[in-house]
Amino acid sequence: MREGRRMVRLRDEIAQAWTVAVKDVKVYYLTPPMIMFGLILPFFLFFSFSIKRDIGVEVGLARLLALTTFFTASSAGPVIIPLERRMGTYDRLLAAPMSLITLLLGKTLVGTFFAAAVSTVPLCVGVLVLQAAVADFGTLLAGVVLASLAFSAFGLIFASIPTRSVGSIMMPSTLVRWPLMFISGIFVPLKEMAPWARALAYLSPLTYAQDLMNHAVLGVGTLNLWLDLALLSLLLVIFLIPAAWLHRRSRVLGY
Amino acid sequence: MKNAIEVENLTKYYGNLLAVDHINFGVRQREVFGFLGPNGAGKTTTQRMLTTLLEPTEGRIVINGHDLAHEAYPVKRKMGLVPEESNVYTELTAWDNLMFTARLYRVSHRERTERARDLLEAFGLWEKRDVKVEDFSKGMRRRLSIAMAIIHKPTLLFLDEPTPGLDAQSARAIRDLIRQMNAEGTTIFLTTHQIEEANQLCDRVAIINHGQIAAIDTPERLKRAFQRVQSVEVALEPGGNAHGQALAALPGVTTKIKMGDKWRLYTEDPSALLPRVMDYARSKDVRVISLSTLGPSLEDVFLEVTGQQVGTVRHEAREGGSQGQGRKARRGGQR
Repeated sequence: MREGRRMVRLRDEIAQAWTVAVKDVKVYYLTPPMIMFGLILPFFLFFSFSIKRDIGVEVGLARLLALTTFFTASSAGPVIIPLERRMGTYDRLLAAPMSLITLLLGKTLVGTFFAAAVSTVPLCVGVLVLQAAVADFGTLLAGVVLASLAFSAFGLIFASIPTRSVGSIMMPSTLVRWPLMFISGIFVPLKEMAPWARALAYLSPLTYAQDLMNHAVLGVGTLNLWLDLALLSLLLVIFLIPAAWLHRRSRVLGY
Repeated sequence: MKNAIEVENLTKYYGNLLAVDHINFGVRQREVFGFLGPNGAGKTTTQRMLTTLLEPTEGRIVINGHDLAHEAYPVKRKMGLVPEESNVYTELTAWDNLMFTARLYRVSHRERTERARDLLEAFGLWEKRDVKVEDFSKGMRRRLSIAMAIIHKPTLLFLDEPTPGLDAQSARAIRDLIRQMNAEGTTIFLTTHQIEEANQLCDRVAIINHGQIAAIDTPERLKRAFQRVQSVEVALEPGGNAHGQALAALPGVTTKIKMGDKWRLYTEDPSALLPRVMDYARSKDVRVISLSTLGPSLEDVFLEVTGQQVGTVRHEAREGGSQGQGRKARRGGQR
């Protein structure tokens, strides 16, 4: 009996997370901050650091996929949650009969949708226009989904900052995300890094996404493919835990 | 029968600011309970704690037998919330807003489509169901916000300032809905500073001031407890406006307020004041156009309980647009 109730509750919570995600996709996909931080920024960064450099189409594609998943997924929560706090709609979600983790999972899924959708742009251009060869589409799909989930949860940590202003969250978020871009083997491959720089790179979640994209597009990576997949899965959980704790803390403060 | 809401020692600090100060009260099943107070008194903070949006610093909230700190889920399933701001998704249509909320509360597909249609028709929004809410007026958004709060048929409904800023027709429709839902068995927790609204709708009211419950009872009993704020209302002609100072100086008058072309004279003993007013009119050779005695209104009770001089707030309201704005500034506003 109790087991049956638990199953119903679990089913309800999954459905509620999905409902939140679908609603957010409908409501926020064309908001200016989402376009700026989630769509334009990764392309801008890629072209800033890659143009007129002698890199192959496939290498460029792997870099761009890692950047889009990282920046787009990690922007969703920091853009959407303060907007919802300002409109009062976040209260509607907090008052609904679902756990905070369910709500955060819904928000994680939104970032994943956005990142997956934005990633299809460089992928289609790379494969269809520039004739890039992708070594393993299955790994690519798994990589985009897993990396987006992990980075979306990463963004939720910043979204827990008790404020109703997108700008107040984007500043610290940018302060953390931009340096990661330079230490994660995106512009300087892991193999070419000094030992101390490589040790630093292993601390960055983006390193494993870039390596996974290298496996998927180039067919070769520096780390073990399964290690990349396992670590990104683990990072999803690791990022959700402090995100949940900090969001609960925001509730104590009245946000 | 156990109370719908039981609040024990509820306290909330924002940093060093004490917003709600160890309050205790109960809300009975199927009751319309008014929660009154000036801006910044702790009304919204209390309501946010009751609706799980804010964690108390101290104290206990039990709703329908469930301790909110440990068993929020069954409470949330049966609870509806209409916040002060209409928190609707302006990028979605009215229909999509309702469907989204119904899905969150796990209302079945058949039930949610039927209920959404009924509610949209009842609120006069059916024709606009496919219009994005960004094109809705304030009143339409308010109605939609209420429809979203009750689509899952809650047994306990929280309303925070449901009618300010609405036209008379919309405000009346919302008051009628509150009465109807209450008649059908829903417990209503109404947070407001619309005192006349509370007087019309509520079985009991609590008045909160500086984070503490200052009074709690039925509106009529509260009025009876404040007999000292009875008044005499008089209109004199000619030169009605010129008699204020002289009328205020009559023995027994505690406060005077100009009410249009009339003067309201507050007194503890209206029967003694009436002949003095007549004598004054005769002595000045002016006609008494109207003369009446008034019992204390709930607003008078409110002003007495919250320690505001009778009449002061009315003048502020005329000058500043809403009651007690000065208080909001002093207390740092509502959170």
